[in-house]
Amino acid sequence: MQTTMKKVFSILISIFCFTNLCFAQQPIPAKKQTKSILLMNGTAHLGNGSVIQNSLVGFKDGKITLIGDAKNVRIDKSQWDTTINCFGKQIYPAIIAANSTLGLTDLDAVRATNDFNDVGDYNPHVRSQIAYNTDSKIPPTTRTNGVLIAQATPRGGVISGTSSIMSMDGWNWMDATLKTDDGVHLNWPSYYSRNWNENAGFGMYSQNKDYDGQKQVLDKFFAESQAYSKLSNVSEKNLRLEAMRGLFSGTKNLYIHAELLKEITEAITFSKKHGIAHVVIVGGSDSWKCIEILKKNNIAVMLNRVHSLPLRDDDDIDQPYKTAAQLQEAGILFCIQNAGDMEAAGARNLPFQAGTAVAYGLTPEQAIAAITGNTAKILGIDNVMGTLEYGKDASLFISEGDVLDIKTNNVTYAFIQGKKLDLRNEQQELYHRYEEKYGIKNK
Amino acid sequence: MKINILYLALILCALNSQAQTSTFPVNGATDNRHTIYAFTNAHIQTDPEVAIENGIMLIQDGVILEIGTAVKIPQSAIIYDLKGKCIYASFIDSYTNYGMPEIKRGEWSPRPQTTSFREGAFGWNEALKPETDAAKIFTSNIKDAEELRNIGFGTVQSFNKDGIARGTSVCVTLNAEDGDNAVMVKDKATACFSLDKGSSKQDYPSSAMGAIALLRQTSYDAEWYRNEKNKKEFNITLEAWNGNLSLPQIFETTDKWNAVQADKLGDEFKVQYIFKGSGNEYQRMTEMKNTSAKFILPINFPVGYEVEDPYDAEFIGYAELKHWELAPINPVAFEKNNIKFALTTSDLKDKNTFWENLLKAIDYGLSETEALRSLTETPATLVGIYDKTGSLKKGKLANFIITNKNIFKDDAVIYENWIKGHQYILQDYNAIDIRGTYNLVINTSAAPSLKIEGDQFKIKSNFMLGDSITENVNVSIIGSIVTISYSNKTSDGTVRLSGIVNATSKSMSGRGQLANGTWVDWMATQKSSFTEKIADKDTTVNVYPTLDDVIYPFQAYGRKKKDPLAFENISTTYNSVLIKNTTVWTNEADSILSNTDVLISNGKISKIGKNISAPTSCKVIDGTNKFLTPGIIDEHSHIAISGGVNEGTQASSAEVRIGDVIYPDDIQIYRQLAGGVIASQLLHGSANPIGGQSAIIKLRWGAAAEQMKIELAPAFIKFALGENVKQSNWGDYNVSRFPQTRMGVEQVYYDHFIRAKEYNAGWEKYKALSASEKLKTNAPRRDLDLEAIAEILSGKRNITCHSYVQSEIAMLMHVSDSMGFKVNTFTHILEGYKVADIMKEHGIGGSSFSDWWAYKYEVKDAIPYNAAIMSRVGIVVAINSDDAEMARRLNQEAAKGIKYGGMSEREAFKMVTLNPAKLLHLDQFMGSIKIGKDADLVLWNGNPTSIYSKPENTIVDGKILFDLGDDLNLRKEMAVEKARIIQKMMLKKGEGESTQKPAWHKQRLWECEDLIEDENYLNAN
Repeated sequence: MQTTMKKVFSILISIFCFTNLCFAQQPIPAKKQTKSILLMNGTAHLGNGSVIQNSLVGFKDGKITLIGDAKNVRIDKSQWDTTINCFGKQIYPAIIAANSTLGLTDLDAVRATNDFNDVGDYNPHVRSQIAYNTDSKIPPTTRTNGVLIAQATPRGGVISGTSSIMSMDGWNWMDATLKTDDGVHLNWPSYYSRNWNENAGFGMYSQNKDYDGQKQVLDKFFAESQAYSKLSNVSEKNLRLEAMRGLFSGTKNLYIHAELLKEITEAITFSKKHGIAHVVIVGGSDSWKCIEILKKNNIAVMLNRVHSLPLRDDDDIDQPYKTAAQLQEAGILFCIQNAGDMEAAGARNLPFQAGTAVAYGLTPEQAIAAITGNTAKILGIDNVMGTLEYGKDASLFISEGDVLDIKTNNVTYAFIQGKKLDLRNEQQELYHRYEEKYGIKNK
Repeated sequence: MKINILYLALILCALNSQAQTSTFPVNGATDNRHTIYAFTNAHIQTDPEVAIENGIMLIQDGVILEIGTAVKIPQSAIIYDLKGKCIYASFIDSYTNYGMPEIKRGEWSPRPQTTSFREGAFGWNEALKPETDAAKIFTSNIKDAEELRNIGFGTVQSFNKDGIARGTSVCVTLNAEDGDNAVMVKDKATACFSLDKGSSKQDYPSSAMGAIALLRQTSYDAEWYRNEKNKKEFNITLEAWNGNLSLPQIFETTDKWNAVQADKLGDEFKVQYIFKGSGNEYQRMTEMKNTSAKFILPINFPVGYEVEDPYDAEFIGYAELKHWELAPINPVAFEKNNIKFALTTSDLKDKNTFWENLLKAIDYGLSETEALRSLTETPATLVGIYDKTGSLKKGKLANFIITNKNIFKDDAVIYENWIKGHQYILQDYNAIDIRGTYNLVINTSAAPSLKIEGDQFKIKSNFMLGDSITENVNVSIIGSIVTISYSNKTSDGTVRLSGIVNATSKSMSGRGQLANGTWVDWMATQKSSFTEKIADKDTTVNVYPTLDDVIYPFQAYGRKKKDPLAFENISTTYNSVLIKNTTVWTNEADSILSNTDVLISNGKISKIGKNISAPTSCKVIDGTNKFLTPGIIDEHSHIAISGGVNEGTQASSAEVRIGDVIYPDDIQIYRQLAGGVIASQLLHGSANPIGGQSAIIKLRWGAAAEQMKIELAPAFIKFALGENVKQSNWGDYNVSRFPQTRMGVEQVYYDHFIRAKEYNAGWEKYKALSASEKLKTNAPRRDLDLEAIAEILSGKRNITCHSYVQSEIAMLMHVSDSMGFKVNTFTHILEGYKVADIMKEHGIGGSSFSDWWAYKYEVKDAIPYNAAIMSRVGIVVAINSDDAEMARRLNQEAAKGIKYGGMSEREAFKMVTLNPAKLLHLDQFMGSIKIGKDADLVLWNGNPTSIYSKPENTIVDGKILFDLGDDLNLRKEMAVEKARIIQKMMLKKGEGESTQKPAWHKQRLWECEDLIEDENYLNAN
């Protein structure tokens, strides 16, 4: 494997012309695609549930200009500046880390590195885009596993803020931006709240006494935001309410973070009442119990980690593993995301979360869609990314083997809008350093 | 048993108790009366077994003078004829804080408090208050006494419920009005303990295992102090501790497993505790029986939930539903197992529910004899006052109750409660029963017939035909004065009548006023007497649950005792398992065996080969297209622990033991079995440089705490380095406990190891003395902290050290070199790759996370290639979880060794099987598939390093403790059982039982850094 990579590298060096061959810890952001590239004979997983075993994938100027079955499409190799033989390899659309703090944090316990949670309960005006740190050490470690795009998402409060869709490659947040201000994040009040008087070891959660009150405050905020959104000229600008406008005009998504059945159902009713066009349930641990209402209202789910513990002691022990398959079966649009403890660093395991869902009922192609095509659809960016389709961004990668299985996930090429990424990262660098030190390089 | 809330407190016999004590001066003429009271014709239940029919009891000066059938009644006696009535000994509550002062709790402070703030010559820990003498702080409480008297109690044991050692109790009678001197029955009756540090604000102990360790160390300290010649310190705490040793020792528990833990502690010091139970003991009666303890049991059964909303009801766990239904069986379980128990009202929020609950227990099968014993003889015996009370016998206190009938019948009434001869009338049995139907005549004109019915002490009344013309009918009687009022609809106002009852002519008459103020004469004559309506016999036979309905463990996915697959039964259901025609990853030299059969017999792997035939009583599993591997061993886990994983309040807590607090009911055990885990090292947290001692368990789902431990496992202790121990992420207040830097951590180690060496030397020196010299010499003090560290020095205890950065890792290796001990394992060891060669030289293993990083500063250089590098350098490497979720898929985590660093599949898989077995020194009987080794196996539906594979069977000691198919059956069983109990809950609510809103008991998941008192440290490691 190493030798083939080396060969490929030597060819590529002349094509892509690295300015700096010595690794300087943080990979250099890629250059704009100037030469056309054709990927030949790889297995293309389109991200929409389909797969082309022996495919041709060509892209020019950052866009996919050719996608098809090698058996059916005649091509003229000379039309392409570069061809890469992908025989026996797997091609996938870029994996999207929805609902993520990637780029907004570096070290969880070091407060100075955390830029995702600001003061105040209602902060729709707080925007993640400008805090997105392209020099963060974490994204280079997720790119090597195929995770190339992130929805940088604020946390905390009732309305955490506004997220943006960011590329995990760029000199600064401006050129990393794929979509500005895609939506507002609302943390639905908790139906249960912790009872602090219980003896330690067992947490007793009683029904949140303030639940109705919290809903009322929220209801008022939305009603007032909606009223404000009807004014074209305001004498006194309110930053918070300004940020809410897009929800009512349909240009922004409302991401409602809710876990329990009652929270989810009430959140849906609430969003309908306020005339929000694009509503997404985020988390949705109990979403498998709310199939009907989700379906009836055509609500998508950005599902919690597959690698979670069941909510309740009595729940099926494999419930979090199989929720994805249950949503799929019911025909609900969903994707898998990785919010939670150590979420930024753990985003690189997103393909394996999808892989586990395969062991519990998804087909492999459905699982791939759950971290690519479905995600783009839910985020409202499927017109330009998420799947390998003609005219879409050439944001894709090549893996030597099945990307969903840990032992075969081995990304050798990755492109964002046709730009070829430097897949090295500091962790690999440290690895090689100490391989050198001990003289233990794998042969 | 109905309690009339309208308590008629007629204190007929106001003896001046102070006048009876000779030391008190008398103001005025002395008023001593030595009246004899005779109670005749009663059914006298002298003790639970013996009753005297038509008995006579004489009492004088608060003491029983005579009791029997042939008792001569002195002429001067005041006689009470109790024909048809019953006398019982008043009840005794052996677990109260009646009359104790309110416990003052200091203000919460975010700052650590490492030392005791208590002034005086006390011991070092605020939570130990053995010197508290309840007798000295007791004052009678008239209101609380009345509440207890009303339900039949006459005597209580009381003590200050504060702290781990709570001091001594006092036994008092409930004649509160007679003065504190008159109520004392016994002081220093018992010594009381708990695991709750109460009002102490001192940090230590912050965990249950810390509290146990504190009790253990203090026991040794007290012994040492007692034997020390020429004491250098006077210590009130230890003085009192020693003084209390001869008393019965009562230990308060909050869970059945607490009793097992505390009993083990007691065994170490030859103390047999009496346990104050928590009410769920029935869930583990074998273990309760094995403690040989007597119990004081609460009688507060769980209140049902509002389950009308099915979604809310879902949050009530299976175990809680089962407990709601089964809890009243608790005393029954003790009776059936012949374990002595007393009942206490102490946990009842509303004392008036005492009888309701007691009768419920009787419905569930508690015998009346045992019920009575548990309220009289047993509590009196437990607290050492049976010579004075607890039965009716000549010379004992005149503490008794008078009832209308068998007290355990539903409609029994307690008329009087006599305490030390002080008569308390609860219901006046001489009260005139005016119930019946009357002709009412007002000023010669007849009014409609008046009907008075209901309970004798709670009458209801109405006019028979009067509904259309009268309303608001109210009849009351006090003594012989009757008051009647009613509204006359036609005349628009209320008629009010007052008169006298003539009991012999069964009539009432007097004067009254009409609505317009006109005075009238009235008379009511009884035309028919009241007849009790006999309720339609309830023909439905209530079926009560039995002990067979208890599940083991008492948790979701537990099994009933008789289930052939219950843990205790498996070995009789089958004693061998044959897995046929499968692919075996052996972890031995042969590595992979295809189409192979593996036979398990008596918990061990007995045959590996082809075409092995199944012996009798064998379970055969077809392994075609499946993979059989050794079970997963998690080197770093915090599941199945109760009461906290960190005793990080001191730099060293080597004395605390996870083995003291194993919690076998943890659902994570079952969930992890389903992920192929068969054994775990349960580690202390990482809050201090020297943590506590580990327990190494097999996931024997359904077994008791002690049964879970791996018998042959060597001893381990947790060490920790870096940010956690220097409290880097604990906020601005936690900056005072040493160490706060890596520099300090080194010195903690030097200090402790040097002291441990000196400690050893001290003991060696002492042991070398001749017997006569020993008599003259003080023995060194046993120090359990240093003893554990000394065990490291002597190679008897292994270190698993939480570690991240290379500097600290190298530091500990330096310390170990210079102090002459060995570090066994570095756990987490995320920068192990930087010092792998030095670790290799030292023969130290590494147990790491596969790919965690970036969660704090010290893991910024953590790389997923760590395991591969260390292993290529030649270190034994394991991948661990430290996380209840990740432990369910450690096979995936191992597979990351393939992705990051190119390990082979089987080398990677060894990181969660054979390698942790090696690190834990269990590899001679675990970790590979080899004849003679423990049959701890997993049958996977595919290659175990693939994300698409899952365990179909997990086998521990030859017992299939997880099986995909059985799991589905258990889910179905649970669903049916839950539905049934929920229906019952609603039925009971309909019958008037009180309910509460559903709550969600979410299990607290422990991770390395978790401190029991602070929620801010949920982030792992």
